Amino acid sequence: MRKNWLFLVFMLLAALPAWAAGDTLVVAQGVDATTLDPVNHQETPTGNIVSNIFDNFYRRLPNGKYEPWLGEAKAEGDLTWELTVRKGVKFHDGEELNAEVLKFNFDRLLDPKKPLKYSTYFKPIEKVEVTGPYTLKITTKKPFPLFLTRLTYLWVVPKKYIEEKGSAYFANHPVGTGPYKFVRWVKDQEIDLVANEDYWAGKPKVKKVVFRPIPEASSRVAELVTGGVDIITNLAPEAMDAVNASGVAEVRTVPSIRNIFVELDVKGTGPLHDPKVRLALNYAVDKEAIVKHVLGGNGVPVGCPLNPYMFGYDAELCKPFPYDPAKAKKLLAEAGYPNGFSFTMGSPSGRYLNDRQIAEAIVGQLAKVGVKVDLKVQEWSTYVGQILHRKIPTDAWLIGWGNAQFDADNTLFTLLYGGSVPGVKATLFDYWHDPEFDKYVIEAQTVVDQAKRKELYKKALERVRAGAPWIFLHQQKDIYGVNKRVKWQPRPDELIWAFDAEIVK
Amino acid sequence: MLSYIVRRLLLVIVVVWGAATLAFGLLYLSGDPVNLLLPLDASEEARQEMRHAYGFDQPIYVQYARYLYKLTHGDFGTSLRSEEPALGLVLQRMGPTLLLAGWGLLFAVAFGVPAGVLAAVRKGSFVELITMTFALLGQSVPVFWLGLMLILVFGLKLHWLPISGAGSWKHLVLPVITVGTFVTASIARLTRSGVIQELRSDHVRTARAKGLSGRVVVYKHALRNAAIPVVTIIGLQLGALLSGAVITETIFAWPGIGRFVLIAVSQRDFPVVQTTVVVFALMLAFVNLIVDLTYLWLDPRVRYS
Repeated sequence: MRKNWLFLVFMLLAALPAWAAGDTLVVAQGVDATTLDPVNHQETPTGNIVSNIFDNFYRRLPNGKYEPWLGEAKAEGDLTWELTVRKGVKFHDGEELNAEVLKFNFDRLLDPKKPLKYSTYFKPIEKVEVTGPYTLKITTKKPFPLFLTRLTYLWVVPKKYIEEKGSAYFANHPVGTGPYKFVRWVKDQEIDLVANEDYWAGKPKVKKVVFRPIPEASSRVAELVTGGVDIITNLAPEAMDAVNASGVAEVRTVPSIRNIFVELDVKGTGPLHDPKVRLALNYAVDKEAIVKHVLGGNGVPVGCPLNPYMFGYDAELCKPFPYDPAKAKKLLAEAGYPNGFSFTMGSPSGRYLNDRQIAEAIVGQLAKVGVKVDLKVQEWSTYVGQILHRKIPTDAWLIGWGNAQFDADNTLFTLLYGGSVPGVKATLFDYWHDPEFDKYVIEAQTVVDQAKRKELYKKALERVRAGAPWIFLHQQKDIYGVNKRVKWQPRPDELIWAFDAEIVK
Repeated sequence: MLSYIVRRLLLVIVVVWGAATLAFGLLYLSGDPVNLLLPLDASEEARQEMRHAYGFDQPIYVQYARYLYKLTHGDFGTSLRSEEPALGLVLQRMGPTLLLAGWGLLFAVAFGVPAGVLAAVRKGSFVELITMTFALLGQSVPVFWLGLMLILVFGLKLHWLPISGAGSWKHLVLPVITVGTFVTASIARLTRSGVIQELRSDHVRTARAKGLSGRVVVYKHALRNAAIPVVTIIGLQLGALLSGAVITETIFAWPGIGRFVLIAVSQRDFPVVQTTVVVFALMLAFVNLIVDLTYLWLDPRVRYS
């Protein structure tokens, strides 16, 4: 009898831990934030947290388009922009948002003595002038058609608060204009936010938000299915069935802005130099099978460097190459390799959804048309270092590209521009050289008229399609586990914006 | 005795210098941290600016000299990610890890020593078989597997204990068992063999002949002598405990240094990794010093020689 009593007490005590309950939304990500300065980080998990505390000048919509948010910008000719700041917006400490505050934000980003991690997005800006209490004029060094999409990176920070307390204090005790106010940050344990009832865009429905870092994927799943947390990120495809079967939570996915592909070293005189060979490789890889069997359906095959969220995408030119081993063999024979050839390929492990397994599947599929691939798998930081220093030890490398600007320029210029336009140097990713393609991409950088840009990107994509500089694979899907009590849909930019969420009992 | 301690302290300095240099060298061989700090499409201009701001554009010997100079002045540098002083970040995470390792050690001693004594006294019995089978299992089960199984049983199925995080004593239970099991097993095995050997020795026979009770013989005469290798192993196991903590902290989302440094390594946050190595080297050197001093107390032969 006494034993039973003790057991009961133990059970009651054990039931005490803070389960996600009531009006608190608990989000578990793999890592903690590194800072709460919204423009000085380079990680999605940090971005997810700060996006709830701050507002950006332009807001990204779930369909990938953007709209004015804390203000509006209008082009005045090719080199100037007029900015109008939204009236009546207050920071959590009462400071009012106006033109001076916005100028402070630009100055902070453009200070060469103290570069911030988002400074790179605003480099083309030459001068920022306040022209009225709520208006500014911005002059750029050259036409800057990406200005509006870059304004989604302008998370607005307070002027007075940072000047008084300093950037270091601010990074740990943030004050923004966003839907949630910062409460506390217990490092590596949790970050607590509370609804900003005076939020200019309306009262948030979820009253408290907690972000918890849980590094181990299976521990995140365990917390989710026991109701300990409400939303988990980066759910492994293998765990999808367990989550759906739990009765508590379900899997929700969204096609992401990230494409996965294999870049080919097309330089020199080897087989990969021949466009016919590269086309053959595209026909020899079964994208549907990879998505279905390696990714558990969490991908969308795509036949170009872009995906439907991006400005410049063209459905016809981005149709996946069909799986056609016979055609691949024919093309190889025409190129002079009837018995195939061999090359080396690199892959990271654990950076993208089942990346190593995708690479292994490609090796197997290419073997069927006689192409032998020697696969080298490496840890991400080593791998990315080799790519950035152009010291890649293999002939091909699997990589993903998350184009967070939602504009073709970021992908096409960075990864494929070959440097043939005088005065515009190639980036360190240049391997493929197509002067016609280069011309279109560079022209699109200087045209502010968006319809004309779209036409240029269409022509550029035609060149890519014919030259096949990569093996095009798929657009990756982001997989979340979500408690059924939470009304929330994942977004392509990976943000977890609690203002969009609602807890239904 | 005093010169012995002074000599040992000098050795600590050499060890820490060696560890600091090794940490510096290995990290600088592993590549440019700016690659990971900026987006892949950042301009070369932005990369250069960042390199200059952090001093990575200086020759490596200048960076090394600056690093050592700062180190001797207690300046461990600033985290590349959070831009906060690295020492503060590391010490902040040291607390939870020491809490975990400390309770793990306590758990290991509390279960390992009695289990070892029991197995030694009941040598050849069923009790010994059971105890030693568990010890063998405890030493061979991988830490991550044990952690996940504990989560499965006590978190997922029974709902008795929280699965991850920190904040109450309940959060500590599963991680402590996970991190302590391996050490418990090695302590149990070592205690058993030590006690068995001592029980066969002359002084124990004498003690028995004097008519002392079994318990006094075992705990006062046998165990005290068997304790020396056990103390050594406890000192050595602290390293194992701390490295086991890396995995345990990751599984249970425990806010300690192991998981923190793991992320810092993958992100090439040099100052944080270097600081952790130096702090760990200091800590292990001092633990070894304490173990050696415990010898002095436990074993008169060391004291007089």
